[in-house]
Amino acid sequence: MSFFRSKKMKYYSLVIPRESAWVVMNELARLGQLHFVDYDPQLPMINRPFANYVKRCDDSLFKLSCLELLLKEFKKNLNYCENVEELLDYFSQVQYDRMKPGHTYFDELESEIEQKKIQIQEQSANLQNLLDRVNIITEQQLVLENAKEILGQSMFQQQTPHNPNDYQQLKFGQLIGVIEKEEEVRFKRIIFRVTKGNAWVQIKDLNNQQIDNSMRQSFHLNQNNTSSPRCLYVIVYPGAEESSSLKMKLLKVCDSFNRQRIEYPNSMDELQRKMMELNQQLLEVKNLIEMSKQQLEQSLDELVLQKQGCNCSYFEYMRLYVLKEKYLYVNLNYLTMRGSIFTGYFWLPEGLEIMVEEKLRNAMKNNRDHYPTGQIQEIKPQLTSPPTYFNLNEVTMPFQEIVNTYGIPRYQEVNPGLFTIITFPFLFGVMFADIAHGFMLFLCGLYIIFWKNYLLKQTDSMFNLMIPFRYLIVLMGFFAFYNGFIYNDYLSISLNLFGSCYSPEKEEWKRESKDCVYPFGVDPVWQASGSSLNFMNSYKMKLSVILGVIHMLFGILMKGVNTLYFKNYLDFFCEFIPQLLFMICTFGWMDFIIIVKWLNTYENNTDPSIIETMINQVLKPFDKPVNPVFPNEAEFQLQLTQILTLIAVICIPWMLLPKPLILGSKNDKHKVNMSDSQYQPLVLEKQVSEQDEDNNQQFHNDLQNAANLKSFSEQSNEQHDSGEIWVHQMIETIEFVLGGISNTASYLRLWALSLAHGQLAEVFYDMCLAGKLDIGGILGGLLGGYFYIVFALLTFGVLMTMDVMECFLHALRLHWVEFQNKFYKADGYLFNGYSYKKILNDNLKQSNSK
Amino acid sequence: MDLCVFGVDDGYAEAIIRGLRASFLSEAQYQQMKNCASIPELKSFLEETDYQNCLQADNPQIPTSILRQRLKKKLADEFEYIEAQSTGTLTKYLFHLRCRFMIDNVVNMIEGLKNKIDIEILLSNIDPLGWFPEIKNIKVLEGDDYSSLYRDVLIDTPIGVYFMKFLEESIENLHENRTLNDIQNLFREMKPEYIRTSLKKMWLEDFYSFCESELMATSQEVLLELLKFEADFKTIQVIYNSIGNRDLNTAAKIITTRKQLCPTIGNLYPDCEKLYLQAMTLDTLREAVKGCDNYRDLLKDAPDPLKREEFNVQTKTLDDIMYDDECRRYALAFDGQGSYGVFYAYLKLKEQEIRNIIWLAEMISRKLAKNHPGWKKIIIPFSHLGK
Repeated sequence: MSFFRSKKMKYYSLVIPRESAWVVMNELARLGQLHFVDYDPQLPMINRPFANYVKRCDDSLFKLSCLELLLKEFKKNLNYCENVEELLDYFSQVQYDRMKPGHTYFDELESEIEQKKIQIQEQSANLQNLLDRVNIITEQQLVLENAKEILGQSMFQQQTPHNPNDYQQLKFGQLIGVIEKEEEVRFKRIIFRVTKGNAWVQIKDLNNQQIDNSMRQSFHLNQNNTSSPRCLYVIVYPGAEESSSLKMKLLKVCDSFNRQRIEYPNSMDELQRKMMELNQQLLEVKNLIEMSKQQLEQSLDELVLQKQGCNCSYFEYMRLYVLKEKYLYVNLNYLTMRGSIFTGYFWLPEGLEIMVEEKLRNAMKNNRDHYPTGQIQEIKPQLTSPPTYFNLNEVTMPFQEIVNTYGIPRYQEVNPGLFTIITFPFLFGVMFADIAHGFMLFLCGLYIIFWKNYLLKQTDSMFNLMIPFRYLIVLMGFFAFYNGFIYNDYLSISLNLFGSCYSPEKEEWKRESKDCVYPFGVDPVWQASGSSLNFMNSYKMKLSVILGVIHMLFGILMKGVNTLYFKNYLDFFCEFIPQLLFMICTFGWMDFIIIVKWLNTYENNTDPSIIETMINQVLKPFDKPVNPVFPNEAEFQLQLTQILTLIAVICIPWMLLPKPLILGSKNDKHKVNMSDSQYQPLVLEKQVSEQDEDNNQQFHNDLQNAANLKSFSEQSNEQHDSGEIWVHQMIETIEFVLGGISNTASYLRLWALSLAHGQLAEVFYDMCLAGKLDIGGILGGLLGGYFYIVFALLTFGVLMTMDVMECFLHALRLHWVEFQNKFYKADGYLFNGYSYKKILNDNLKQSNSK
Repeated sequence: MDLCVFGVDDGYAEAIIRGLRASFLSEAQYQQMKNCASIPELKSFLEETDYQNCLQADNPQIPTSILRQRLKKKLADEFEYIEAQSTGTLTKYLFHLRCRFMIDNVVNMIEGLKNKIDIEILLSNIDPLGWFPEIKNIKVLEGDDYSSLYRDVLIDTPIGVYFMKFLEESIENLHENRTLNDIQNLFREMKPEYIRTSLKKMWLEDFYSFCESELMATSQEVLLELLKFEADFKTIQVIYNSIGNRDLNTAAKIITTRKQLCPTIGNLYPDCEKLYLQAMTLDTLREAVKGCDNYRDLLKDAPDPLKREEFNVQTKTLDDIMYDDECRRYALAFDGQGSYGVFYAYLKLKEQEIRNIIWLAEMISRKLAKNHPGWKKIIIPFSHLGK
């Protein structure tokens, strides 16, 4: 039963010579069952022996992500890897064919990536330059055309003035060019100030973005336009002399706006010639673009291509290989380096030792230079407890996830995940109880189960997110369906499936025969009677308390199982037994009388009130009950309740006192023993320093020391303050005693939510369907159709989505708080196997979702 | 009262800046930085800190100037983000903060143009915090004609006001019947450093009066205190630097220049004005400021400006001492609640951090021995609080 408790772990030390570190780690990662322990978590990553490699891998990944952007821009579709196992086999095949040490392959790939990146970026920069060049040329054309329009013919026809004082013959100069659109106003202002208003400025939008986009489109490029809108300006100012100070100043201003300024030709012919020239240039550049684009595409295609035997694009192949390499070095960094030996520690699930050794032998075989590949040796674990490891499958995964979200189980502790598989959907079902709604949920779950492969491909499907939880949904739906039958609730209507035991007779209900019992669930006659709600409430309320107490008792029993398993007899006798007794004597007893009351018939209004009985039992311990639960046996009941109350009261000090007292006396003894153990580490350090440098011996010495070091550090730091123990125990006791009451009350949410669910369903039914169906005729048909749609939408929106969420959350709470606080420590940490498969799979998902 | 309503408008911006508190390098990180042996190592260390994203695309052998530019760019981005999240008075306030950098930029541009440095280089070296669109138009400057520079370009800019005041003041100081020539001479002789100091003085005074008139009480309390110190810092700097300055040969000229450059706010003004204006040696300066705060203690360790030639890297200059004290004040202001001081302090402390990193980068690239006293010359923000 691997799921009930986490797997047994063993602690090993691993010693590998430096030369074969890569090979060994490479092999072990294929196994995926080693949990490496960081030998010094405080040491910053940058100071570790392989920090440099990790950094290089990061750099390569960064370069690859640059390339990926380009690939996207040119709409190249990569083949993503789907089967990691195959890819890993391919990796090792490639390694094998290379006939060189394995770790050097990364160097090759790294330089290849670097080269590719430089090459492709250069090409794309080239392309971009050419595109910009086209922009500039088209801009020039536009500017010239527009300027021609604005300035007109007269600009060329100015003559040198005969009389410089005649302002009508004053000659004008002009400047044309391009500026950013947003600088338009500023530009105008500056020109105004510089010329003191003596210039005429005309500005016109260029629509350069549209032009740019349309051009990119003509080359089948992405239209990711980053250029800002621009506009052209034409300035006409008085004084055409080449060296007038005004002109110099204007030139400076225009140039300071950092965009191109264009010389306006002196005559019409020249203008024409210039236009022709530009056209010519444009054609040339466009040809160049076509060529460089082809080149670029070629180099990009190389990345997209699938290599023979590999199941994904070359780009993806490189990316995953670098990722794998990075992962290897990160884990290698968890090892200490002493001389030429790496020493590391890892956890391994019990029984896998042989496989690790086989992998090591394998590594030896695959190793070209036949270095020794290291050894493992089991050693005594350190202070840290082993990781928690479960072998999960697709069914158990979501339930374990529910538990893990609260806290990871402690190593070897009873795993609440196992019980959650049934109790969680069941408690959900109690709250969501409705035959129709439950069945719908059940169908929904089945749909996801059977069409899983189809849904996986629909990346935008809503069901896609639910795929991991499909078995959870099916079970939730099933139990809601089942509980719906018990409550006999079908969209707020009771079904008369087996024939009611009552039949209407003169506005009264008559029982068919005295022995008639409705075979399963609640008799539908209740719905027809006026007191249906009263009856159902009382029934559901009691049911939820009974379920709750059973659930909690079960939790307490699990605590007992835990204490026995860990041989913690102190907790068994001083916590588990009083807790169990307390719960049985109070709420267990309450459940018992509820059931007794159900089974008995009471005459003449002598039916006992459960609450009163419970309260009087404590407040009036010596008075006979007025309405005894056991008919005619008041005396017996009094004695029984006295005993039970006494036990419950005794349990409280029992929980509180013995444990801290015993622990305290133990501590005192411990302190005496402390003195000599402190000297031991010193002796050890001496041994280490005396170590001789001989290589062969060092190997074995290391092994020995590794084993020794850890066993010495086993000094437990159980030096709790006795005050702390007292406070802790007090809190525990108070929490349990008060929690007993409040937790039981908390289970009433089972009733409250199912009431809410039922009432909502009833309201929707009454408002939308009931009565509307009787109208008849075409109008009735239309109205019926309309209200049916409203009803369906409300049922889906409120009950099937919101109420499912609500019931889910409350079921979650009942598990996390009321059930798990009885026994669950939840202070473990997850087993994190060193596995290529895991890391690559994690990264596959990312690239697919992009 | 204003503590209750502070969060209404400025809570979000303050929260962001409090979050940015985590981005400051810790003392341990400085220690690790000091252990870096080369610039690539320093860079890869910085990539593990909050500066990761702004450095990733660069080549490992990053020159110090580019490193500085990147770090500043990051600060400017953060500041811009906060500015975008602010409203009302806070926006105005943050804008005022940026003016200081704009002044620096403008003066740097003027200085560069005078020295005929290429405009592209100048533009790539401007502080991103003080960027404004008109800055590239400073190119229009011809010779020393600051008034036309003002008229053509700077008039629209945020610092136009200060520039105008500066021009007015400097022209006013000339004798009665001035000619155009006189004015041109005046500008020709003017050092950019002089322009900078006067502009900054005006900015400081303006900022002070802004804080006094528009901010809420808590902000005022914190900020005025900081600004007073800053003003005093400036005053002491001006006096200190003018001691033994050969360009100012006559006593009268020293005093008028000092009077022009010293801010008219702060703890020292006007009580000690007479004394410090006439201080001609370090001792008399110490005597002049002894009445205020801890200034005397600060000046106690300052090296004598008359022996300027003997200064070297190891000398703990007046600036270092003052920065140290400033840093303490800003750290305190940063940890205060419900005041605008936190923004000011953040900016100043981040500037200090950048200065530290650049300093260390310089030390590393010069390969100075690890026991060189220069390694200790960094002031770690928030390190004063623990003590």
